[in-house]
Amino acid sequence: MIVDTNAYLGHFAFRQLRHNTPDALLELMDAKGIDRAMVSSADAVTYRNTQPANEELAAATKPHRDRLIPFAVVNPFYAGWKDDLAICHDELGVQGLRLYPKWHNYALSDQCCLDLIRQATERGMPISIPIRVADYRQRSWLVDVPDVPLGEIIDLVKACPEARFLLLNGAGYTGSPLGKPDSGLPANYWIEISRLSAVLADEIGQLISRLGPERVVFGSGMPFKYPDPVLVKLEVLDAPPEVKEQIRGTNAAGLLQPLTPTRSASEGGERQAKLANR
Amino acid sequence: MPSSRSVTRRRFLGASAAAGAALAGSYLGSSSPGLKAAETKAAPGAETPSRKAVPVIDCHAHLTHHSAANYDQRDRQLIEAADKLGIDRLCCSILTPKKPATAEGFRECNAWLAEAIERLGDRVLGYCYVNPDCGRDALDEIRRCVEDRGFIGVKLYNEHVCTEPIVYPIVELAIELRVPILHHAGHGHHPIPGQPNISDGGHLAELGRRYPEARLICAHVGGGGDWEWTIKALRHAPNVFLDTSGSVVDEGIVDMAAQVLGPDRLLFGCDMSMTAGVGKIRAARLSPEDRQKVLGGNMMRLLQMRG
Repeated sequence: MIVDTNAYLGHFAFRQLRHNTPDALLELMDAKGIDRAMVSSADAVTYRNTQPANEELAAATKPHRDRLIPFAVVNPFYAGWKDDLAICHDELGVQGLRLYPKWHNYALSDQCCLDLIRQATERGMPISIPIRVADYRQRSWLVDVPDVPLGEIIDLVKACPEARFLLLNGAGYTGSPLGKPDSGLPANYWIEISRLSAVLADEIGQLISRLGPERVVFGSGMPFKYPDPVLVKLEVLDAPPEVKEQIRGTNAAGLLQPLTPTRSASEGGERQAKLANR
Repeated sequence: MPSSRSVTRRRFLGASAAAGAALAGSYLGSSSPGLKAAETKAAPGAETPSRKAVPVIDCHAHLTHHSAANYDQRDRQLIEAADKLGIDRLCCSILTPKKPATAEGFRECNAWLAEAIERLGDRVLGYCYVNPDCGRDALDEIRRCVEDRGFIGVKLYNEHVCTEPIVYPIVELAIELRVPILHHAGHGHHPIPGQPNISDGGHLAELGRRYPEARLICAHVGGGGDWEWTIKALRHAPNVFLDTSGSVVDEGIVDMAAQVLGPDRLLFGCDMSMTAGVGKIRAARLSPEDRQKVLGGNMMRLLQMRG
């Protein structure tokens, strides 16, 4: 089973995306052998008010919840975020968050962001953070949005030990405390591999050795990116089959289980049962 | 008169033709175009004999400068990675860590590359790296590397925009020697730090129009900024090839390049982003014939220019 922790639906402001509807993405997933995907709205990256994009995502994924797992994009600096979070989780069945602090112009250390993370964590939602949206060399002339520095991620995981973070589209972990076993950081973050090497420096192998295979997850970035490169990484990765299976899907599936009982706990159990049967 | 070392390229070309050559490895090949590519999964290193037609040639790779203590280990890791991914040949250069390169600096790099070709066997083909600033020294080095060492082309970096007249003698010598020039390139909409003289696809198209006999390779469309801009800039430059390498694996990048430029002008490359290079070719919607052109057939045509 392959669970993609890093997928999207919708349009991006600066480049045409293909395979960006539920049917097209599912067709791509079928072709590549990807069973499930955590999806958020690509439109929400540049929307001021992200909630309409979350609502569109929830509606688009509703017939496909066994495969497309909606993640909401919430901006904690925007009016009404608490209402948006509650609606997304409690009414729309959204299972996780995606945060874009640089695109939405807030700091991960802002109190409102910490409040958002706390409230999402209380609902059992994992928090995914794309370190970048697009390669910095191909930014539009209209924007100059930097990557999220790994140092800011370090401060965040320390500040929110109860939360569960998915770090997407990142690189440089092996040179960071995030990729070191004796860093003193809580084991509350998972690293997605789409920008990490499986040969030459073999960053994925290094992270498996240092953090354990349970902390590394599959993610492609589709439909921004071709899924094949990360599939090739898994194929050539020098790791036992059971470790590859953890990375492909077991670890990510575990993140979809709420940490604490919530009103959706029974739904979560049903989802896990479905997963086990796939 | 060519020395015995120049046999390296001839041996490679001859062997490739005679054997019907190597493979479209399992990570690269596809029995049917497009999305079906994923169905060709196999064990690492596995080959698919039925699809053998041309060798898989990475048109853009680098060996390690000897200022790195573990250069030999890193070079061997590159070969191991190529083995895993089904890449038969790597077209390599060694660049000086400090730019602009001095004549002493690039001569040292090219000498190390020649040694590595001997050491690593015919897996590695060499580009001669020079800095156009060095004038006669640069030209002499190119001639020595191509005629005596069997190098297959010239590598230019970002010391000058390729349309500056100081670059012309190098292009003219490459035409005389019948070898391609792989030119570092990129086009961003914000300044690229440390690269004020970087060339882009538009510059290479202009150079190609000035020298229609030249064979130019625009480097790393996946590592050179706005790839849609680059592809469109190269549309009307039939003697400029596009190298698919770079870490960027944006969906559609190879498909658009094949559609706009045609598959005959695309060259598979990794530029050390190995799985990115392989994965994007596997993903692209190419016919089996076009895939083989991109993976090695087109580069073979460039290598055969010199005979």
